[in-house]
Amino acid sequence: MADSTVQQSRSRDLDKLLLRPGNLVAPTFEPGVQLRDDLQEYARILVIGAGGLGCELLKDLALSGFKNLEVIDMDRIEVTNLNRQFLFRLEDVGKPKAEVAAKRVMERVSGVNIVPHFCRIEDKDIDFYKDFSIIALGLDSVEARSYINAVACGFLEYDSDDNPIEETVKPMVDGGTEGFKGHARVIMPGSTPCFECTIWLFPPQVKFPLCTLAETPRTAAHCIEYAHLIKWDEVHSGKTFDPDDPEHMKWVYTEAVKRAELFGIQGVTYSLTQGVVKNIIPAIASTNAIISAACTLETLKLASGCSKTLGNYLTYNGVEGLHIKVTEFVRDKDCLVCGPGVLIELDTSVTLQRFIDMLEEHPKLLLSKASVRHQATNLYMQSPPVLEEMTRSNLSLPLFELMGKVPKDIVHVTGTANKDDKKTSCLRKLRLVFKGVDAVTDMDMAVGA
Amino acid sequence: MAEPKNKYDRQLRIWGEQGQAALEKASICLLNCGPTGSETLKNLVLGGVGSITVIDGSKVEQGDLGNNFMVDVSCVGQSKAKCVCTFLQELNDAVKAKFIEEYPKALIDSNPSFFSQFTLVVATQLAEDSMVKLDKICREAKVLLIFARSYGLTGFVRISVKEHAVIESKPDHFLEDLRLNNPWPELERFAESIDLNVSDPVAHKHTPYVVILVKMAEEWAKAHGGALPSTRDEKKEFKELLKAGMVAMDEDNYTEATEASFKVFAPRGISTDLQKIIHDGCSEVESNSSDFWVMVAALKEFIANEGGGEVPLEGSIPDMTSSTELYVNLQKIYQEKAEVDFLAIQQRVKNILKRIGRDPDSISKAMIKSFCKNARKLKVCRYRLLEDEFNNPAVSELQKYLTDEEYGVAMGFYILLRAVDRFAANYNSFPGQFEGEMDEDISRLKTTVVGLLTDLGCNGATVTEDLISEMCRFGASELHAVAAFIGGIASQEVIKLITKQFVPMVGTFIFNGIDQRSQLLAL
Amino acid sequence: MAFPNGKDDLMNFEVTIRPDEGYYLGGTFVFSVQISPIYPHEAPKVKCKTKVYHPNIDLEGNVCLNILREDWKPVLNVNTVIYGLFHLFTEPNHEDPLNQDAAAVLRDNPKLFESYVRRAMAGGYVGQTFFPRCI
Repeated sequence: MADSTVQQSRSRDLDKLLLRPGNLVAPTFEPGVQLRDDLQEYARILVIGAGGLGCELLKDLALSGFKNLEVIDMDRIEVTNLNRQFLFRLEDVGKPKAEVAAKRVMERVSGVNIVPHFCRIEDKDIDFYKDFSIIALGLDSVEARSYINAVACGFLEYDSDDNPIEETVKPMVDGGTEGFKGHARVIMPGSTPCFECTIWLFPPQVKFPLCTLAETPRTAAHCIEYAHLIKWDEVHSGKTFDPDDPEHMKWVYTEAVKRAELFGIQGVTYSLTQGVVKNIIPAIASTNAIISAACTLETLKLASGCSKTLGNYLTYNGVEGLHIKVTEFVRDKDCLVCGPGVLIELDTSVTLQRFIDMLEEHPKLLLSKASVRHQATNLYMQSPPVLEEMTRSNLSLPLFELMGKVPKDIVHVTGTANKDDKKTSCLRKLRLVFKGVDAVTDMDMAVGA
Repeated sequence: MAEPKNKYDRQLRIWGEQGQAALEKASICLLNCGPTGSETLKNLVLGGVGSITVIDGSKVEQGDLGNNFMVDVSCVGQSKAKCVCTFLQELNDAVKAKFIEEYPKALIDSNPSFFSQFTLVVATQLAEDSMVKLDKICREAKVLLIFARSYGLTGFVRISVKEHAVIESKPDHFLEDLRLNNPWPELERFAESIDLNVSDPVAHKHTPYVVILVKMAEEWAKAHGGALPSTRDEKKEFKELLKAGMVAMDEDNYTEATEASFKVFAPRGISTDLQKIIHDGCSEVESNSSDFWVMVAALKEFIANEGGGEVPLEGSIPDMTSSTELYVNLQKIYQEKAEVDFLAIQQRVKNILKRIGRDPDSISKAMIKSFCKNARKLKVCRYRLLEDEFNNPAVSELQKYLTDEEYGVAMGFYILLRAVDRFAANYNSFPGQFEGEMDEDISRLKTTVVGLLTDLGCNGATVTEDLISEMCRFGASELHAVAAFIGGIASQEVIKLITKQFVPMVGTFIFNGIDQRSQLLAL
Repeated sequence: MAFPNGKDDLMNFEVTIRPDEGYYLGGTFVFSVQISPIYPHEAPKVKCKTKVYHPNIDLEGNVCLNILREDWKPVLNVNTVIYGLFHLFTEPNHEDPLNQDAAAVLRDNPKLFESYVRRAMAGGYVGQTFFPRCI
């Protein structure tokens, strides 16, 4: 009993938001002690990344009514983290970020449980990600975001009218920063754009032409990239360059200086060398704090309904004055990752060949010369000839068997589409359902429970 | 030991050694160390400010454990200032951390001269009357001041300083200073030395676009009585001429020239923003003028004389398709002209300093160089005293914001954030602060809002019932996520003020935690 | 095309180019292609595994092809890249060299360049460098 009075008092401020009815709230909002207790007991949040954003996210979530947190990060602490990753100290350098971050937050916020995972995101089974109510992303790479997005959208199921089934929606909250700029966004797979729908928001990295590096260098960065991309291989045959090895970095720096002198170019410094080679993105505490706080607030709103949700993309820019802008991006209905795809019902006896023929006549597809991929397996490839030969024997087998006798699943097909008498190559997502197969899946069980 | 520099590597890439040195010299005072104040300081301590002084008279309560990371169970009953200070010190031992266990309101009332020792004061969660007093104190003592407050799902950040001049504004996208529309003789001569119709295809595709454009523009001017292309048709024709100069399809330099041709068409002279600065009253300098305005006065003379209507040349060029040799030579031509312009400005600065009775060498060479390099990007930010904003409200702005679709909610919060202080002055508690008086508080707050709007000269204007009810629901709570956001914004602005880099926000920032459509109000 | 990791790994494969005209007619050149996990947002990584005397390919197998680096766009695909590689063999250019010696010879003495290419492809030395046979 004593414990519960402590708790009440501890959530003095948060209670105002969670226990009182409001006027500008989500339709699902049911204020009360039950809501507060449910957040503590049942909401499970996964934080991906324990870096600049991740440290802030863990702290913010722990002080926003959540008690069950997990964090995953494959990195160890470095000295250059210390200007913003406030959960780490100089003596922590070399230790796994996830473990230290979890420990520090638990030390200070009693009652919060944080499970650290010191590994790559790809090392976890897909099912690991299924258990969380919301996934909060504090990442700095397009690749990792793309991976988690695919995993989360992979849980999404649509009903026969192509509407997302609520219980299968795995919300994501994503943040990113660079210097004085950042973004925060809410992704509700199936209703707001997923990461893949708007991947163009991330400009591709600048890459210099190799011949410029080799022949007409003009800037310090050109000299550095020459040493890094061309000279290194020339001198160290077979040895791969390791950007984390200071000896390697020094070698590149020295070579870049020599080259700059040769061409009369100024500005090669060790710091710039590191920046160019490792593509270092400048980062500061304040921007990370702003973006993580926005992400946490949205996480709290998603979990409790205590206010309206961000719709759906916020940008912050503090370079010249202060600009905060909310943009409502729209979903790509044909997105291969989050879109419903085309629903096709099949008999279990249909062979792969027959299936491919069906695609040609299907009114929504009109897809000829289709290649078919199921999960990580190529069931049939039209070209190149080597692959055609390797997959040809599948054509006579029933698709149901090729897909491991699952009652339903996604396949991706590529082929030539006929649209307005124009032939275009295209990639489509299909939702296959086999008739008459008992469709008790994990997800259905979860819905029942 | 290499550690200290390494530790700051990721921020040195933003504000450089100079910015870092300014931070390390700064002494910061924090008033009230609830989550808003603590989070603001956390970000500054991590960045390595010189010293912090935490001022708070309260003891840590159970409730503080739920919204402030800087206190833990063992702190309950102890001085909050002390506990927060101890944790902040743990984050960075290079920072000198002090605390004073005293209520800020009492300090403001009893010891105004106390604040003059600081570079900057961060004042959080203060009521309106204390803010107004502190504002006057800091303005008088020339201490930078920033207010921050979190209140439920809203809050604000407001800078207060008479004038903040920025040389290194470092804008994201700014047109390079190439003078293609107004080349100086050395650049013209360099361009003349290069044959655009060179027969070697390698040389042809490695002629920098700057040279191509200078030559083509000169040719055009010769044929058009000295004028550059100005009409749409002329611009089109100019681009056609560029295209005709290509000998192969894949000549990137010609593509770059076409894309950059608008730089030839651009009007000569200085921007309207810069016009305003050189015509500002402060550019009539006297003995106590700041170094910035002395340099602006020199700039004004330069533009009218040897500058021929232009500012000193920036002196750098962007990367462009070119042979190394031509690029490096071109770079030199720009650098040399920038150096000549710098020397002219330097001489004028010395003369002006002498004229106003100051040491002619009192402004460093590095400072003048940086001023010249950034002459096109100068910024001057000015902030009204809070008292002035409150007593002489910008009625038309207020009314415009209140009815604007994008700004309406933020403006409503601005009114409500002021109304709750009035409410508290009248009823000794904030609306909705305690359970059981909700309905009464809502109607009282409504009355307070109407009264405030009338005082502001916005008769007939309203704040929506929904927003008033939400404000009561917030009940003066300080939510951690909101405090972290407001604190983040406040620390960001502090960094800009102290490093004198980038442009701080002008106006009052209103946080809208409902749908995140926060706004900056210019009032 | 060859798939050293089997039919299900389409992220790493090899492409063999046999130019049907020009200096390199009759040669067989193997390229390794590595597809990024965020393809087509990022260009494939391509290296030439056959040592070749070529102005736009260096002795380490780096290839100077604009669409592989600065001009990559997500609308491009592996076929465009293969087409681009093919083009490099039918029309090597000395204006964007990676192998400067080869570029200079091509520019100043195309006949000599042709003989060097023949010699390298047949298996032999050009200057100090030995090229294994690739015909």
